[in-house]
Amino acid sequence: MAAPTHAAGLRRAMGLRTAVSTSTGLAFAALQYLAAASLVAYVAGDSAWISLGVAGLLALLAWGFFGELNGMFPTAAAIRRYMSRAMDDRVALTVTFTYLTTIVMVIAADAFIVGAALTHVLHESGVLTAVWTLVLLGLAVLSNLRGVKVAGSVQDLATTVVLTATLVVSVVALAKSGTPLHTPLQPFHHRTGADFVESVALGVFLYSAFEWVTTNAEEVRRPEHIHRAMFIAVCILFVVSAVMTTAMSHVLDRGQLSSAFPQLYLGQRAFGGFGLWLMAGITAVTALNTFNGGFITASRFVYATAREGSLPPVLARLNDRAVPWVPVVGLGVTSFVVAVVIEVAGGAGWEVLVAVGAALEALIYAVAAFCVLRLRSRLPDHHRPFRVRLAGPAAVVGLVVFGLLALVAAVSVSNRFNPLPLVIIAVMAGISAVFVVRYVPRYRAAEEARRAAGPKRRPPRNRPDATATPPADETADDPPGARSGHPVP
Amino acid sequence: MADADEITEAYADWQARCNANSRLATMLRGWDRVVHLTCSDTGDRFTIAVEDSVLAELRQGAVGDPDLVVTATSEDFADLFWGDLNPSEKYLSGEIVLAGSADDVMRLDAMSMVVFLDG
Repeated sequence: MAAPTHAAGLRRAMGLRTAVSTSTGLAFAALQYLAAASLVAYVAGDSAWISLGVAGLLALLAWGFFGELNGMFPTAAAIRRYMSRAMDDRVALTVTFTYLTTIVMVIAADAFIVGAALTHVLHESGVLTAVWTLVLLGLAVLSNLRGVKVAGSVQDLATTVVLTATLVVSVVALAKSGTPLHTPLQPFHHRTGADFVESVALGVFLYSAFEWVTTNAEEVRRPEHIHRAMFIAVCILFVVSAVMTTAMSHVLDRGQLSSAFPQLYLGQRAFGGFGLWLMAGITAVTALNTFNGGFITASRFVYATAREGSLPPVLARLNDRAVPWVPVVGLGVTSFVVAVVIEVAGGAGWEVLVAVGAALEALIYAVAAFCVLRLRSRLPDHHRPFRVRLAGPAAVVGLVVFGLLALVAAVSVSNRFNPLPLVIIAVMAGISAVFVVRYVPRYRAAEEARRAAGPKRRPPRNRPDATATPPADETADDPPGARSGHPVP
Repeated sequence: MADADEITEAYADWQARCNANSRLATMLRGWDRVVHLTCSDTGDRFTIAVEDSVLAELRQGAVGDPDLVVTATSEDFADLFWGDLNPSEKYLSGEIVLAGSADDVMRLDAMSMVVFLDG
């Protein structure tokens, strides 16, 4: 069994503050503003914060799952490792590839939202949104290709500025409204229970990506930082999102809520013209975190999978700055195409996108619950620095609740039945499954053949004998496919 | 198990390949790092330093504050330096354990890939 490792003695270890800002910053994308505004449609008056509270409690349930799984596998490749041990390798890869598409969607949505916000404040034609989107994604791709990474201190500052400004603008807008809140404690007023469930499903999306910080598990100063950071991030996200959603529902009209930049109107209500520009700037800063985290997470994952032999070797090609340039460019191009589709589709475009993201996020939480449940029986003796209390019942509840929320989110757009998100997810999952079943075995076979074709360079006298010590992570509880020498994710 | 001499011999071959690779020299520009290697089976520890795109000699023991710590079996270290092992595969399966930033991990893997796959 691999000894738990952490970066305590490293020269550049990540502290708790940066881990919190990473977790919060990744979750608080520009799409957050649109999702918050969309949420208002499902509940009565100014009671959307209750849906967010329930969603926050569910996010804490997911936090427990990710905490246990990340504790077991404190590595950037954790998702591959725990999924491959909990389920069939092909299913694990299919789920992972499908989940990765959320990164593309969030990047695309953020680029579009920032582009739309800039177009609005500059009083330009809406057509120029695509140009701004192209410029933003182009800059993101170029900076990634040059190996530019936002320093931890800059990320701390950016996240703090975004959250503080959003909170202040929301509070000031509420204070300036001069009217009391409408039914702040009655979410069911003239609404149904189904509406509330849909609002909770959407609310879960406002916490999405807080768990991406687990990919930093190898660089935190203390292993428990990741676990604590995710908890603190969920709490911060609840406070900021609840206040922002309440302010939006209270001071914005229906047209403003359904626009691509409700946060600009919120800023305007708080501080007039200055507030408009302030929130445009804040929206742009949110994209900094999204682009930084999204591009690095997705491109490095694709690189590692290609290096392992499960994707075409071209995806592992590096430029002179050791950046996997093909995944970075591919991510940029795909995000731009999605952003253009969003723009062409108008308001319905990002509403569908939010629904797809909400459904996929709930789905991955359900998968995490399943992995906790399955690994408790498959790897009962594996080191678990953090254990979910009442893991069995909690995982079953998580599996059922998140599964249902995923289904609800997948067939609901703007408080109306619409199966388009479900169709999109099904198509993405289908493509992933076909790719995994048909093409991944070919890539793996080609990689095996390539390795077999070349002679071993290590002198024969030094080859290991039959009594060699097993690898560090091989344990009796590992499934056969996880043994060394096999391309196991 | 590979003893310290075997790992030193394997590293010397890898070091020569890395330092002779002009593309890698470009790739490592500005990447001055200290890497500690820990053998999980023998307990042996080694230190690698990269300075001005050049890999220094392998040093016995953990010297200085590291930027990156790599933990693996002695066999895996020997195979890795000879180019007989895909470090990404071992990493994804949990047999190579790392502590350090993702960017540093990436560079280390890039070194292995460039010298053995790019020629």
